[in-house]
Amino acid sequence: MPAVTLNGVQVEASQGTTILDLARQHGVWIPTLCYHPELSLNGSCRLCVVEVRGSRTLVGACHTPVAPNMVITTDSPAVLKSRRLTVELLLASHSGNCWSCDKANLCELRHIAVELDVGPLPITLRKPFRTLEALGAHVVRDPTKCVLCRRCVRACREIKGAGLLAIAYRGFSCKVIIGQDDADGDAACESCDVCVGVCPVGALSKRADRFVPKTGQPLVVAG
Amino acid sequence: MTEQRLVLQNCGRVDPANIDSWLAAGGFAALDRARAEHTPEEVIAWLKASGLRGRGGAGFPTGLKWELTSKSAGPERYVICNADEGEVGTFKDRYILERDPFTLIEAIAIACYAIGARRAFIYLRDEYRDLLPHLRNAIVAAHSSYPLGCEIQIREAAGAYVCGEESGLMESIEGRRGEPRFRPPFPPSSGLWAKPTVIQNVETLMNVPAIIRNGPEWFAGIGTAQSKGTKVFSVSGDVAQSCVCEVPMGTPLREVVEGIAGAHDIKMVQVGGASGRVVPSARLDTPLAYEGVLGAGAITVYGEGRDTIEIGLRTLEFFAEECCGKCSPCRQGCEALVGILERLAQSRARASDLSLLRDIADNMMLASLCGLGQAAPNFVVDTLQAFGDEYLARVLA
Ligand SMILES: Cc1cc2nc3c(=O)[nH]c(=O)nc-3n(C[C@H](O)[C@H](O)[C@H](O)COP(=O)(O)O)c2cc1C
Ligand code: SF4
Repeated sequence: MPAVTLNGVQVEASQGTTILDLARQHGVWIPTLCYHPELSLNGSCRLCVVEVRGSRTLVGACHTPVAPNMVITTDSPAVLKSRRLTVELLLASHSGNCWSCDKANLCELRHIAVELDVGPLPITLRKPFRTLEALGAHVVRDPTKCVLCRRCVRACREIKGAGLLAIAYRGFSCKVIIGQDDADGDAACESCDVCVGVCPVGALSKRADRFVPKTGQPLVVAG
Repeated sequence: MTEQRLVLQNCGRVDPANIDSWLAAGGFAALDRARAEHTPEEVIAWLKASGLRGRGGAGFPTGLKWELTSKSAGPERYVICNADEGEVGTFKDRYILERDPFTLIEAIAIACYAIGARRAFIYLRDEYRDLLPHLRNAIVAAHSSYPLGCEIQIREAAGAYVCGEESGLMESIEGRRGEPRFRPPFPPSSGLWAKPTVIQNVETLMNVPAIIRNGPEWFAGIGTAQSKGTKVFSVSGDVAQSCVCEVPMGTPLREVVEGIAGAHDIKMVQVGGASGRVVPSARLDTPLAYEGVLGAGAITVYGEGRDTIEIGLRTLEFFAEECCGKCSPCRQGCEALVGILERLAQSRARASDLSLLRDIADNMMLASLCGLGQAAPNFVVDTLQAFGDEYLARVLA
């Protein structure tokens, strides 16, 4: 049972627990985008970064196991500044038509942005033009909304067992593709919906769900 | 001037296509000695005592890496020689591979003996494909003239800078997209195919036979307090003579760029390639050592009259091109930095662009998943400090 310090408080952690698990056990909020409890770890979105004393860089909470005597800070100014800037960078190339987006108030990226007090964007980035694509008969994909968290890629492989989705190209041109990124690449896709369920934003949706009014609380956007 | 050839001692003196000439120069003496006189634990203890640290950029103590790997559980372990040499301006590993492949093979065999590995890989940079037959012949010749105790295979890279990063390299050998992994776990406990793995730069390994032959005290007697031995550099840019040279650790940068490479009227020197640190001419006496500046061995000289912004833009364009795209701070950050530098280059940047430049750079250094994103802003950060007025001059009034 390693004893660690979480935001100034001594807590007990069981062997192998990640910083994220520990924080959640203690009611501490850490934003995550690529993390999904049903999927393998990925560590790519970098929104769950925290400060660990002695570490040169910030540390990803979702994939870093706690170690004895670790001193963890989840809400220091440096941590909050980093998360905010990363969200701003993601939003800067995001399609940005939230007011007509199918995901509406269920969008995890918007929730995180509100939580982190992200206001008008200071950054201008190229917004890549990409057309809508079909995944089988029932799923529609909008790559301009994709934040490259890869949950869909992992879900297709790890839950559906199909492994049809993949990451292609590199850098800012990265894209989730199906098949060889060609018109009939989705021939083997059964439109099982597993990927739609895990998408944190509106990049994947079911055709049938379009035009259906959203219920629940409207999301108040700060800034 | 002050050249001291330890890593490069056989380069030019043996025939790299003929193992007999290398054997006559004392080839396999170190492997012989390691096996006959030392247990694997003793070899590791010698390396630790020598103070040898990695030459591929990160400077991790080599003996400690081997010790951690040898103590990790499981029967299967691997040794990888990182010959991806992707850093802009480095051509010293190529120099070694061309001129002295046998000593490298001997070093790999010693590493396998020390950590108990039976298989080793040389991960060869795609652009060095022309060296393949040469290296294959060298491995065959070594195998047929001496029991190496391990099987050495060459793995061809596919041309991505990020595949020189150790975990991306392992993904690539395993046949997946070359993207870095999160750490921990580190390679000594879980590396190639999740087995304990030692991965070393070509030059790091080249030091090992010399340490076994001459003893750790001899090696520890060269260099500075925290940087033992010598360092091989590839020097290029605004110099009279581009060259590969080897000097003791701690040698002032000035001796290499002015003394050996014959540069003059220097504006700044980039030590460590595109991801390296920038040394302005006023600080040319900085020692080349882990406690000074070092990097992977590229020294790029920029003469007076070179435009800082233009170099910065080209540097960031390189990283934007080579960024794998896995993590958000680097993928989005490289693109954003290129945008700001383009505006600066065209003298149409806003005042807010400079603080944004700094914020994005800080975030990449702090939050990126791998060393590429963490080091990509180095040039911009260093020159903002040393040549800040050049940036300010390009901002719209
Ligand atoms: C983006 C990136 C590229 C790298 N490229 C190389 C390379 O081409 N050759 C190399 O030896 N190390 C490279 N490294 C360093 C390796 O990750 C690793 O630290 C090194 O191979 C370990 O060997 P050493 O301890 O002998 O230096 C790179 C690191 C990063 C982050
Ligand atoms: S820092 Fe850049 S190169 Fe490294 S994992 Fe992230 S996106 Fe890829």
